[in-house]
Amino acid sequence: MKMASEQRLTGGSLLFKVLQQHGVQHVFGYPGGAIMPIYDALVDSDVQHFLCRHEQGAAFSALGYARASGKVGVCLATSGPGATNLITGLADALADSIPMVAITGQVPTSAMGSDAFQEIDIFGLSLACTKHSFQVTDIKDLAKVLHKAFAIALEGRQGPVLVDIPKDIQLAEVPHDIEHFSPLKNKVKLPPANVGKAIALLNQAKKPVLYVGGGVGMANAVDELRGFIDTTGLPSVSTLKGLGAVAPKDDNYLGMLGMHGTKAANLAVQESDLLIAVGARFDDRVTGLLNEFAPHAKVIHFDIDTAEIHKRRYADVAILGDLKVNLPALAIPLSIDDWQQTCAKRKQQFAWRYDHPGENIFAPAVLKEVSEKMPSNTCVTTDVGQHQMWAAQHMLLNDPSNFLTSGGMGTMGFGLPAAIGAQVSRPNDCVIAVSGDGSIMMNVQELSTIKRFQLPVKILLIDNAKLGMVRQWQDLFFDGRLSETDLSDNPEFTVLASAFGIKAKEITKKSEVSAAIDEMLDHNGPYLLQVKIDALDNVWPLVPPNTANDKMMESI
Amino acid sequence: MNHYQLNIKADDKQVVLERILQVARYRGFLISGINARVNTGTNIGSIELMVRSERSIELLVDQINKLVDIKEVSVENDVSQLCSA
Repeated sequence: MKMASEQRLTGGSLLFKVLQQHGVQHVFGYPGGAIMPIYDALVDSDVQHFLCRHEQGAAFSALGYARASGKVGVCLATSGPGATNLITGLADALADSIPMVAITGQVPTSAMGSDAFQEIDIFGLSLACTKHSFQVTDIKDLAKVLHKAFAIALEGRQGPVLVDIPKDIQLAEVPHDIEHFSPLKNKVKLPPANVGKAIALLNQAKKPVLYVGGGVGMANAVDELRGFIDTTGLPSVSTLKGLGAVAPKDDNYLGMLGMHGTKAANLAVQESDLLIAVGARFDDRVTGLLNEFAPHAKVIHFDIDTAEIHKRRYADVAILGDLKVNLPALAIPLSIDDWQQTCAKRKQQFAWRYDHPGENIFAPAVLKEVSEKMPSNTCVTTDVGQHQMWAAQHMLLNDPSNFLTSGGMGTMGFGLPAAIGAQVSRPNDCVIAVSGDGSIMMNVQELSTIKRFQLPVKILLIDNAKLGMVRQWQDLFFDGRLSETDLSDNPEFTVLASAFGIKAKEITKKSEVSAAIDEMLDHNGPYLLQVKIDALDNVWPLVPPNTANDKMMESI
Repeated sequence: MNHYQLNIKADDKQVVLERILQVARYRGFLISGINARVNTGTNIGSIELMVRSERSIELLVDQINKLVDIKEVSVENDVSQLCSA
């Protein structure tokens, strides 16, 4: 049997040969009828497959893998519901510019368009949630399409690519041996940067602020950014996805800006006369009321994507292209001592406080303590909600690849499978999934993946028995009319974890926190720490919707 | 409401027309008309897309330009008479 499979190269086996050409060692997926020839070829392949328990889990694991490693994440699913279950992961990858290749099985070409069993037009569905997509209808095109898929996923602004392969193409034999590939040339011709004008703006500015986005990590330009900061001495702020790019203990770093940003960061941006946006896109969660965002500032906008320039904010100077090249070109010493001191004073004045009264556990203090105790190369993933914002505010992160969170799409259910992908890509690093009791239930089936592969993922479950962020908004902006946000009938999470062979502990009092964190971090294997907090705790500060960032609510 | 005509050259690839229409709709442009043909010798498609929107046309041009199969996008100015005719 083995000899027979070696003598012919089917579409399925060609897929794995191309994956290996691109250095793919691990894939995440779930088999089904229309992708069986590919799963048959998997048996003879050296690529390691991680069986997830839902295709959405596979997509997010591939996403976490990509973000933690800088490689392309790969996931597989069958046709119909398998393919549609990938959609949320693809949308998440598109929103956060993550390189991913999704392979879907499709009904045979002869059955396509006949409403066949498990047939869906995933190719059509993919248009709005991928950077690009392909449907292979001729075996002769398969290798070329797969090579292109990897090139497109990685070139310029990165993103997800879907390749839909009908079953007969998976079974068809390839007439020629596999071809070598050459990287796709970037077709976008970027205009030359007006470095001279940018330097003039930098020299004129009295109150410049560096606004750092996720593009820095995607461009692998953390070192260049830090060099730029060292030379210029610029006060800096970060988006959610940019966290980790600026050294967290940099004297002039003011933390996250935007809806749940620090007061020091938001005030600095609002007062600034020059905003240097680096790999950031003026997202609505960052700007608040756009017309009143940084109202006195001129803008220098660094980006790889031409379409981001002027999209939401006019840029006085656009610096398009590779940050690794462009940032050093603008690194000049600046005379902004007074401004630095103003920012530093505010940073001290509005520093986080952890002297929370009472015996109830204060989630920000827990997250701060975890980040102080975890190994320096720890990769933290989050789900979406209050715990996500607390993690972003209170954990010190030293690299963007060490903080994986669903930024643009804000997808609950991201954190656990993303942690699985991160742990697979970095088996020797500590991986912590910070989740909430609402989010974890969105992909809780992936506890089984952790069990199957004995992945030592630590799960820090912040449990307020509520959909906490929605509850907070209902309290603040909907007259306290609570609607479908009570989760007090959640399962007993420690029992649930035990059912998957995962050690677990629940804590309810402040005095239990330190020892429990130590136990979790010291445990040699997967661990779930359930941290019960007050259901009425809120995330502060908060910029209300359609409000300028200097009009923050700090508590009620 | 501003009216524009986009002249687009694209590789004759799968669903390229659908992609252009999807991007136009998503980015807030209503489609007033479309002409499309393919040169079978070069496999290059030529698309004239008439759109209207309150938004800046550069927003749409930049987004269409990002599509993988697009070769060129240009804008014909002041086509309000053409589109309302």
